[in-house]
Formats: sequence, structure tokens, C-alpha cells
Amino acid sequence: MTERVRESQVTKKPRSVRQLAVRHAMPLKIALGWLALLALWEIAGRQQWVAGGALPSPSGILGQLVVDWHDYPEHIRATVRTSLLGFLLGNLVAVLVGFLMASWRPAGRLLSGVNVTLFAMPPIALTPILIIAFDGDAPRIALAALSTYYPTMVATVLGLTRVDARLLDLVRLYGGGRWATLRWIRLRHALPTLLAGLRVAAPNAVLGSLLAEFGSGSGAGLGHYLIGSLGRGDPARLWGIGLVATAISAGFYLAILLLARGWVGRQAPAQESLGGSSGGSMSRASRLLCLAISITLPVLLWWGAVWGLERVGVSSFVLRSPPELVAELFSTMRPESLTSIVGGALAQTVPWCLAGMLVGLAFALLLAIVGTLSPVLGRVLMPLSLLTQSMPLVALTPLIVLIFGRDGATILAITISVTFFPAYVTLAQGMALVPAATLDCVRVLGGSRWREIGLVSLPWSLPYLCAAARLVAPRAFLGVMIAEWLATGTGVGNLLNVARGSLDYGLVWAVVVAAVLVSVLLYLAVTLVEHWVLKRYAMAPAP
Amino acid sequence: MTSAGLHIDRVSRRFDVDGRSLLALDTVSLDAPAGSFIALIGPSGCGKSTLLRMLAGLDQPTSGELHVGGETPQALQQRGALGIAFQEASLLPWRSVESNVRFPFDVIGRMTRADRERVREMIALVGLQGFEQALPSQLSGGMRQRVAIARALVSQPQLLLLDEPFGALDQILRRSMNEELQRLWLNRPVTTVMVTHSVDEAIFLADKVVVMSGRPGRIARVVDIPFPRERPLSLLASAECRKLEAELLALMFEGGTSDRSGSRTGSERGDD
Repeated sequence: MTERVRESQVTKKPRSVRQLAVRHAMPLKIALGWLALLALWEIAGRQQWVAGGALPSPSGILGQLVVDWHDYPEHIRATVRTSLLGFLLGNLVAVLVGFLMASWRPAGRLLSGVNVTLFAMPPIALTPILIIAFDGDAPRIALAALSTYYPTMVATVLGLTRVDARLLDLVRLYGGGRWATLRWIRLRHALPTLLAGLRVAAPNAVLGSLLAEFGSGSGAGLGHYLIGSLGRGDPARLWGIGLVATAISAGFYLAILLLARGWVGRQAPAQESLGGSSGGSMSRASRLLCLAISITLPVLLWWGAVWGLERVGVSSFVLRSPPELVAELFSTMRPESLTSIVGGALAQTVPWCLAGMLVGLAFALLLAIVGTLSPVLGRVLMPLSLLTQSMPLVALTPLIVLIFGRDGATILAITISVTFFPAYVTLAQGMALVPAATLDCVRVLGGSRWREIGLVSLPWSLPYLCAAARLVAPRAFLGVMIAEWLATGTGVGNLLNVARGSLDYGLVWAVVVAAVLVSVLLYLAVTLVEHWVLKRYAMAPAP
Repeated sequence: MTSAGLHIDRVSRRFDVDGRSLLALDTVSLDAPAGSFIALIGPSGCGKSTLLRMLAGLDQPTSGELHVGGETPQALQQRGALGIAFQEASLLPWRSVESNVRFPFDVIGRMTRADRERVREMIALVGLQGFEQALPSQLSGGMRQRVAIARALVSQPQLLLLDEPFGALDQILRRSMNEELQRLWLNRPVTTVMVTHSVDEAIFLADKVVVMSGRPGRIARVVDIPFPRERPLSLLASAECRKLEAELLALMFEGGTSDRSGSRTGSERGDD
């Protein structure tokens, strides 16, 4: 009986004034923290503290936004239209591939090469080729679609497969087959995970569309507007465009979040990293065969795409199939060989990428530690960092150019800004997951907060540090390339731009393939380091 | 539907783990009349759960045969004549209490007016009236387990399978759930096979306690429990009961090598 009484109280909520005050104290402090940041920004803007007015005050930005408003609707419509179409197309493909991978195990292995390429590939690298091959909205839609594919595909596979095995047994027990488990368990179970994936994919679609606009000529779209306004040196307008792009992105994000809340409530999505889980009982020979196919598949896709484009009438003058490109790479007809041009550019780009990534990670780790020492600071920073995930951060590059000028400092600043926030979110989540009992072991022995962090929190977050590095490696490469393209005029980023301008299509293809390849190799190298470190300390990879 | 007797004839089960063949069950035979309550006890890794999964038709013996009332478990599955409850209640988190209890009828694909009535009746029997529309996340552990038991019984199965159903509950709650389960079972004595780690739970509920030993899994002894129904919880404090408990514990320790490797049989891996 007593148990019944206890149960009936389960859903009751605390009502007393004191409890309410305690519950609202934290949000109040966080809101104050936000207000303080905003006030600081306003003062800094009015006093022109940063780079002679490159950082305008919030009120100045809003004022400029009102003045320019007549320009916006056309650009907003174009960006929303292309990113929405790309979002739908990319997710359709991603969900179909996810279903295939979930229902047929070898598919995951065979497609791993394509998936890693699509994840690690810097979207901007594909821009020149998309612009050569398509016209109109198509390059933007294609890049938006390519940018949404990965998170949705992973979410579909996770949602469909990471199901409590007992629930599947239950359906089988009542005579249900594959179709019944799909209908009653898997589909509904996948829903929250799929929606979480779509939420990540939405800002990616906006970013993809903007990046394609960066690369193509004139036209409607916020990316065009941003590039067009860059030369005018009007910081408030650039900030206004950045804010509108962010608002569109955040709008997509929120729309899906609300849809998810209404549809699946607060049911948590499944989490697991995709790597290494598809083990199973395969012989060594068939595993090697799968590996070979998975490496060849992206190349075959490239070849197939070129073949298809030639069929629909794109001039073969601008296209290069894999063997054609290889032949051109080693051709002696050119004044300077392609390999030495591309190699020289890479030698400029890669060191910046590594440096930016390391500094970004170190900065994130430092702030995660500060965040655990001062929870209020952590809770002011966390929503800010989550907000930046719905922000096409690299699209704000022109603003950083305004602040830091056109040299190495800009490259570093952009690379850190695109790596810091995701790394911080991952690390802070890792540190928040340290079991209280383990921390108590240190506390019971009279250890200080520093000892807790040094002996427990830091080692505990090692897998999260590795996951953060894996996550940000391709982003760092993208950041450096965008900085080089828009600001410094050096390295691979600049070469992408220059090659297209000089109509040297062999060079365009060589740079694009090299950029994708290096980004993938960088990602794989980080994955290898992660694997080695975690094996050394017998830890499981973080999601 | 009436309940059915159990006939397990020289059943063995081998698993291939990392290329090595592991004998999880070694020629196990057991007979039990219809309407009896069997408890399987033994050390971890002795094959209790493997045996239970084969009775549920979720796994096939490598050799030997199992029959329930003359039918194979697969035949029972097709008729919706089995019921099961697991250690973690394993409810569908997106379904309400009422909808979780109704779930078997959804999978079987038919629900008569009588079935609908039966769903309501089962919810009342496990004492959850008023919580029909609650989601599992809003319930306590004991309440969730009651939903799981209601779900297992709602289709009036001929064989009820319980895989450590109260293993995740505290001792006091476990006792009161044992009492409730006995009441439900006396209400309609369905043939029941329960895997448990708790010796006193086995004595309190079962007609026969099957003590298993590990590596490979074998039946060490089948012990009949003589106490008449309905058994009061105070029975567990009696001298007779204590003596029986001591005997069973001794059997478990002498027969079963303790499970040092900590690995579980292949069939049990699915959980998170």
C-alpha cells in the first residue's frame, strides 16, 4: 500500500515559493550574463574599440538592417528556396541509404568510403565543379543536398538499428516478422533520432547554399549579397546579412525542434558513433574485398557523374574523368606541372589547418575546465555554443576579415572560430558525464577541485577530446580554405578561385580532388590517433 | 485456451563465439505438467536464459526437442499463445500504459471486443486503474514492471515466461510483487517458467525449482516445493523454508563453477 501512495506522488511538481525561487535563480543569472555580453558589445561598438569600427554595435547593425531592408526579400527568398530544396533532396537520399544500410549489413561497409568522403569533404571545394557543370539554382541546391546527407544518414541508421533487443524479441514472440518489427518498433524508435539528425542537417543546408553563392557570379541570394557588400567596407551591413543568414538557419533548426517536441515529446535520440560497430563475423578475405570496394566506390561515383554530365550535354572540355585527370597530372605539356602547383598550395594550407585545429582544441579544453569550475559561466557559454551550431559560421568570414585584416591572423582566427564551438560542446558534455561517485572518491580523500579535474575529469574526457578532434579536423580544413579564398589569396583556397577564373579546368579538377583527398586523409589520420589512444587506455569511443 | 504441459527432451545448444564453439546447454531434459510454476536458478552463464529463449521460440536448440502441450514454441508464437516479461520492464517508451498492455494484440493483428475488455481488466488486476494514459517515463520501477506483467498475461498465453522479472527492484518491492504475481497466477494457473537469481523468490513462487550448474549448462537437481497455496510471505521466515533455502544454495555452489570470465552467452548480448 505504501508503495501506491509513493507512486501517486511521482508526477507532482514542487510548488513552494522557495522551490520556485531556487529553480529560477540559475536562469536569472544566465540571462544577466547574456545581457552583460550584449552591453559589452554595444559599448565596444560605439567606442570603435575593435579594428577601427569593424565591430559595429548591435543597435548600429539593426539600424543598417532597417535602411537596407528593401534589398533583402529577394536574397532571402533565393537562399531559403535553394537550401530548402537541397535539404529535401539530400535528406531523401540520406534516409533511403540509411534504410539500405540498416537492413543490409554489408551496405554499411561498402558505402563507408563514400560516407567518409561526404563527411570530411570541404563543401566549398566542390563549388567550382558544380558551377562548371550546372547553371541556375542547381549548384546551390546540389551543395545544400550534399551538406545535409551525412548527419541524416547516420541518424537514420542509428535510429533503426540501436533498438532494445528485447523489444524486437517481444514482437517475434507474438509471431511478428521483419515487417512487424519495422512497423511496430524500428520506425517509431528511429523517429526522435532522425529528427535530431535533421536538426543538424538544416543549418548545413543553409551553409551549403551560401558557400555555392560565394563561388558563383552575381545573382540573388544572401551569399551573393555578402560577397557583393564585402568591397564596400560597410561592417554594419555585413553583420546584418550575417544575422539574417543566421536567423534563417536558426529558424529551420527551431522548426524541426518544435516538430520533434510535438511529435515525439522529449524522448531522447539514440547515440553512438558509426565507426567500428559493423564488425560481425566476416572472413578476412571478404573484409579486404569490402575495403577495396569502399575505396573504389567514390572514384566510380565521380566517373559516373562525369559520364552522366557528358550525356546531358555538358562540354567534355570542362570535365575530367579519373583517368583523364591522372594523365593530365603527369603530362609534360604544361609549363609548370599540376602536381607541383597543387603540392605547393597544399604545403601552404595544411600547416595552418593543423595549427588552427590544435589552438581551437586547446582553447575549447581550457574553457571546458573553466566551465566545470564555474557552472554559471559554463551555462552562459553552452547556449551560445549551441546557437553557433545553427549558425553558418564560415559565412561570417567577411566579418573576421574586417577585424583581422588579410594575413595569417585571419586564417588562424577563422579556423579557431569554426573549430572552437563544436569542440567545446563535445568536451563540456563529456565533462558533465563524469560519474558523481568517481568524483566523490577524490572528495572523500580531501582532494581539491583541481585534483578532481586532473585525476578524474580530464582522463574521463579523453574519448571526448578525441571525438572533438575527429569532428573538427574537416571543419578546420574548410575554415582555412575559406580564409585563403576570401582574405589572404594563398594556398588551396585561393587556387580553387584562381583556377576557375583562368579557365584552367585541368587545374580546377586537380585542386578539387586534392582538397577532398587531403581532407579525408586528415580525418582518417585523426581517427587512427583516436583509435590508438583509446586502445592504449582501454576506453570506448565517445559518440 | 487452456495452459499446456512442458516437455524438454535432451536439448543442447552451442554458440560460436569468436570462432570457438561454446557449449551453453548440455543435454537438458525436463517435464512439467500443465499449470505448474517452474523456477530456474543457477549461477550466471549456466544457460537459464538460453533455455528460456528456446522455450520462447527466439532461439533453436542445436540438438534435442522442446514441446509445449505437444506443440513447438514456433507454433505457439504463430497463435499468439506465449507471454514474456523481462528484467527491465522493456516497455515501448512512446506508448501509454493502456497502449503497452494492448501491444500483443497489435502484433497479432486482431483485437476482439473481449480482448479490449481484457486489456482493461488486466490493468485493473495489476492495480493501475487511473494510470491508463500515463507514459512509462512517468511511472515508478514497480509500476512499470506491473505493466510488463499485464502485457505478458493479456493474450491469455498457454505458457508464461519470466526472465528475472523483478531483478531490478529492491528487496521490499520485490516481495510485494512476488505476492501479487502469486495472486494473479492462482487466479488463472498458467504454465510458467521463471528465471531468477533469488532463491527465496523461487521457493515462494514455484512448484518445482530447477537448479542448474554452469559451463556447460546442465540441470543439477529438480526440487519439488511442498508448501501449500496460497503461500503467505511469512512462509519465508519459517524454519522449513530456511532449511530448503540452505539446501538449494548448497546445490548451486557445489554444482556450479562460478562465472569468472563475466562473459554472457550469445543470446543475452542484445541489451545496452
